[in-house]
Amino acid sequence: MQEDLKTEQLARVNIYALISRILMNEVDEKLLKLITEDENMMSFFPEFSKWDRRKHMSAKNLIEQYLNVDFTNLFLLHLIPYESFYMRDDQQMETGGDNPVQALYNAFDFRVELDEARVMSADHIGVELEFMYKLCEAQYKALEDGELKVASEIAGIQYNFLKDHLLEWAPMFLLNVKLEAGTALYFDAADLAIEFMLSDFEYLTELKETTFIENALEESK
Amino acid sequence: MDMKDLNELRGEFEQLQRQNMQSDCEDGSCMTDDQSREDYPDYLAAIFTEIMPPVKSGIYISRWDLKSMAGELDESFALDVRERMFQKFMQWIGTPDDMKLVIEQFHNNINAKCDMYKEYSLKYPSSKYIFDAKIEKAQSAKKYLDKVYIEFFT
Repeated sequence: MQEDLKTEQLARVNIYALISRILMNEVDEKLLKLITEDENMMSFFPEFSKWDRRKHMSAKNLIEQYLNVDFTNLFLLHLIPYESFYMRDDQQMETGGDNPVQALYNAFDFRVELDEARVMSADHIGVELEFMYKLCEAQYKALEDGELKVASEIAGIQYNFLKDHLLEWAPMFLLNVKLEAGTALYFDAADLAIEFMLSDFEYLTELKETTFIENALEESK
Repeated sequence: MDMKDLNELRGEFEQLQRQNMQSDCEDGSCMTDDQSREDYPDYLAAIFTEIMPPVKSGIYISRWDLKSMAGELDESFALDVRERMFQKFMQWIGTPDDMKLVIEQFHNNINAKCDMYKEYSLKYPSSKYIFDAKIEKAQSAKKYLDKVYIEFFT
């Protein structure tokens, strides 16, 4: 049972890492190679795998002529990948310390290097997904150490973060990414991000109601 | 009792009702969406403040959405700051019939996004309440657009 949980957990860690990376910065050759050379990974990108340009261009040209242009259009110029814009009446971004997610990150000692990530504030979609990735990683470690109660608590934090933050705004943003994407990669990435977050919320809801609580209770006996 | 007494009685009754409502709802939480919306000097301010914020309408109307809605009406403008693009779109309106066409475009955009919300709700039932809240806001936004038409164009 615990092995199943660990396997599921490792898959969650990897997918959160992947979508966080794709939605945070431009794709580079290393990442593109990682995606295209792994059959499992490519199955997450059905349109991209069929995309003619991918088959007939070098990775460098594909990135420079298409993928980076699309990333710039979608994430820097025309759409707004920051939670505060979607949650405030005045449609402004909260770039200061008053950002609601910042307090949460501080509580869990999650440090965001805005310069390094090249984002304007901590509520960028890539950063929020990276926070989920870090939580999943911590949960995996707790499972490996046999700390089921800790793992259960971390799952609860993930559930609340998805419910109160990501699912409240990211689908609005990602639906527009899907509609406005100029390349198959970003169409698929947006689709993968929405579908994965929603299916992960199903998983966490189920987990919240059953397994983790039972396990935690059993452990405390 | 003559008509004057009856009118006075009605006036007193309405005042009493207003007082009761105010004391029951000092924080405004019991107001309906329509009641809680402010009055605006023009339709441009009304729509920008009440429909364009995703937190109020439950949907995100992007620059490309504005451009494509305008395109459906054979109007074209360059991609620019979202607020300026919105203003240009609104400035295109010259007659009540133009406004009807613009409202129809907003309705179509809102409906298309609500349809996607509904698909996700069906596929992922645990998230249904999140999407239902957005659909409710979107329906209220559509009603508000109709109200703006009546208020500013009739």
